[in-house]
Amino acid sequence: MTNMKKEKIGFTCAYTPIAMADAAGYIPYRVLPVSEVPDQAGRILHDNLCPHVKRVLDRALENDLPEDLTGMIFMNSCDAMRRLADAWMETRPKDKVIILDLPTTPEKIDISFFAQELSRLSDTLAAWSGSRITAGKILQSIDQYNRIADRIQTLNSFLADGKLKGSGKRLQELINLATSIPFEDSLKLLDDEIIKNKNHPAEMNGIPVFLFGNVMPDPEFFSLIEDCGVQIIGNDFCTSTRMFSQLPCKKEESIFAQLSGHILGKPPCARSFDPSHPGKIADDVVQKAKSLGARGVIGHSLKFCDPYLARLPMVRDTIQGTEIPLLLLEGDCTLRSFGQQKTRIEAFAEMLR
Amino acid sequence: MMKQYFDDLVNGIEAKIKEDPGSMSPRKIYALEVAKIGRRLYGGEERVAWCGVTAPFDLLAAMGITSCFVEFVGAMLASTGMVSEFLAEAEQAGFAGDTCAYHKSVLGAARKNLMPVPDFLIATSCPCTGGLAVMENLARHFKKDLFVLNIPQEETDQSVQYLADQIQDMVRFVSNHTGEPLSEDRFREAIANTNKAREIMVDVYKMAMNLPSPANGRLFGNFGIVVALLLGTQAAVDVATVYRDSFKEMLKNKVSGIPNERYRLLWIQNRIQFKNPLIEILETQYNASIISDELNDITWDPINPDNPYIGLARRAISIPFNGQGRRRIRHLQQMAKDYRIDGAINPCHWGCRQGSGARGLVSKGLGEIGVPVLNLEVDCIDSRNFAQGQLKTRLEAFIEMLDNRSSPWN
Ligand code: SF4
Ligand code: SF4
Repeated sequence: MTNMKKEKIGFTCAYTPIAMADAAGYIPYRVLPVSEVPDQAGRILHDNLCPHVKRVLDRALENDLPEDLTGMIFMNSCDAMRRLADAWMETRPKDKVIILDLPTTPEKIDISFFAQELSRLSDTLAAWSGSRITAGKILQSIDQYNRIADRIQTLNSFLADGKLKGSGKRLQELINLATSIPFEDSLKLLDDEIIKNKNHPAEMNGIPVFLFGNVMPDPEFFSLIEDCGVQIIGNDFCTSTRMFSQLPCKKEESIFAQLSGHILGKPPCARSFDPSHPGKIADDVVQKAKSLGARGVIGHSLKFCDPYLARLPMVRDTIQGTEIPLLLLEGDCTLRSFGQQKTRIEAFAEMLR
Repeated sequence: MMKQYFDDLVNGIEAKIKEDPGSMSPRKIYALEVAKIGRRLYGGEERVAWCGVTAPFDLLAAMGITSCFVEFVGAMLASTGMVSEFLAEAEQAGFAGDTCAYHKSVLGAARKNLMPVPDFLIATSCPCTGGLAVMENLARHFKKDLFVLNIPQEETDQSVQYLADQIQDMVRFVSNHTGEPLSEDRFREAIANTNKAREIMVDVYKMAMNLPSPANGRLFGNFGIVVALLLGTQAAVDVATVYRDSFKEMLKNKVSGIPNERYRLLWIQNRIQFKNPLIEILETQYNASIISDELNDITWDPINPDNPYIGLARRAISIPFNGQGRRRIRHLQQMAKDYRIDGAINPCHWGCRQGSGARGLVSKGLGEIGVPVLNLEVDCIDSRNFAQGQLKTRLEAFIEMLDNRSSPWN
């Protein structure tokens, strides 16, 4: 591994401009809600906050974090995330913390405000690291990030064709790694994986389904799902492919405006939306499932996640007008309740046969 | 059904005041003006906009729009005891039981055609994520245009300008729907009314700080948040004025909000909106009075009529639910000091991530200045699981604890 001495800057949201952390000389590290530490965040927050933020806070409370993690970039993506940022600062007062405002809509005016937020991030990272971050350096890091996104896209297409050894589970393992190690190491890892799988024969071992939701970083989840008789041919989670999408910034001048436009223009998760097309998320899920040739859709959301909980009925209503059946599951970032879900997924797969 | 309800309410209050002018209390005038908003919303004759909580209602009023935040409907359904049916309707439609019942009840009401179809909708990203989501759902349901105001978290020159520019875009959006431009004169008049009401409310809140306070648990409940709906109109000035006059009179005559005020309490976030005996128990059994609500405060400067968008933007950004938790806690600490608060009650409304999510830090922050907080577990809208006995016991224990400690202000 290279750059072993680099410090880590944590993040928790797929909208985080991680290329900027890389440009500042840090390793962007996604603090995933995966840990063996006891549940205790509800004491500070409230039990009715999503398990994503509670689990991340549990990790902070128990110091279940890399020793070289010295700061956090929080995005103002939802109420829960704001409260997590508050609690984090209280729990780890020595950490450097910045909270970026993230508009919910991608209008011109929003893009220019978010560009100012990115500039503030750049200044803050420079102050943290003690060295200036040039536009050229940011562009280089974005370029590397884009190459990672490209590799993830390739592996995702392998997944869709049934060519990826280890299927959905392997893709999630790779994405988890790619969000916690230096960019250059990620690229090497992903390139090797592509070489390994390039000539792997396509296999369909189950009914093709499309999976979407918010947070599910446990690779085991994907193989457990596939053990129920389905094959994942595409997935769209904040912790999976949504983490990496192309940011085609071209030139050094107005770098923040370009980056802002691409980040806000990313395929949105439920916390962002297009006011001229309310409920577009529902139409997007249907369109994606159809374009992949999925015979069923499985939605997996976390308990207490307002952005998703409030939009799932729209997804359900929209999908009802199509031939594609939908199964909705609710989880808590762990596999604790998988036993109950298993029977439902098996029945769903049976119904799709 | 709702039109009838609001008609009856307005007529009933007006008749009572006419019959017995001495019965005119500030709360009655406030209720009358709020009922009039309901009547206009449901009257079918005016242009209506469903909004988020931090929309600029004064500006919308100047544009001839009857506007209201949707949560108002949830509170109203709860206060009239009708909410269960609408919550059940929303849950039936797939809206999870764990979400904020203000929003669930509104979605249920829309599905049961109990919400007037708006001309358009204006969502605000503050105070909560759930509020934005409900507006997106309603826009899809009503097939009406939606405008979103992204309220920045912190007040900086850039963030204020960003919101001010959005508000100007909102004016264009509204004009495109009404076919009428914003009249500068009406806008100036609205801002003048807002500033006048603001100035009087500053006095009202100051008087409420008096020892003993002229306020009590019923007079002032939900005041700060609901009075925002009247801003820009003469009604806001009138309501503020009756409160000021009444408090002045009470202070002059040494009359307090409750007899023998013993404990001065602060209510955090929103009230329990359905009928319940908690306030009465506090007042009659323990002489403990809720003398203020968290949102009963003016956190913004007068709006400069020559540069109004900046002032409107600063006002929206300034509300205590916006921004980092530490800002909210500083505000609560200041209120506790100003009102010489003995203890605070936080209902921890089930389903409110922005509010309840700060529970631990709020308790700690007020604890640091010697003000204990009673955290309840209540759904402020959904009365189906209201555990009255249990809550009563918690109140008793809290008061007992206050009995055994000295006031933080001695
Ligand atoms: S979007 Fe949902 S899952 Fe993600 S932090 Fe917010 S509430 Fe939690
Ligand atoms: S109670 Fe909380 S979630 Fe519900 S409307 Fe108010 S701020 Fe939003």
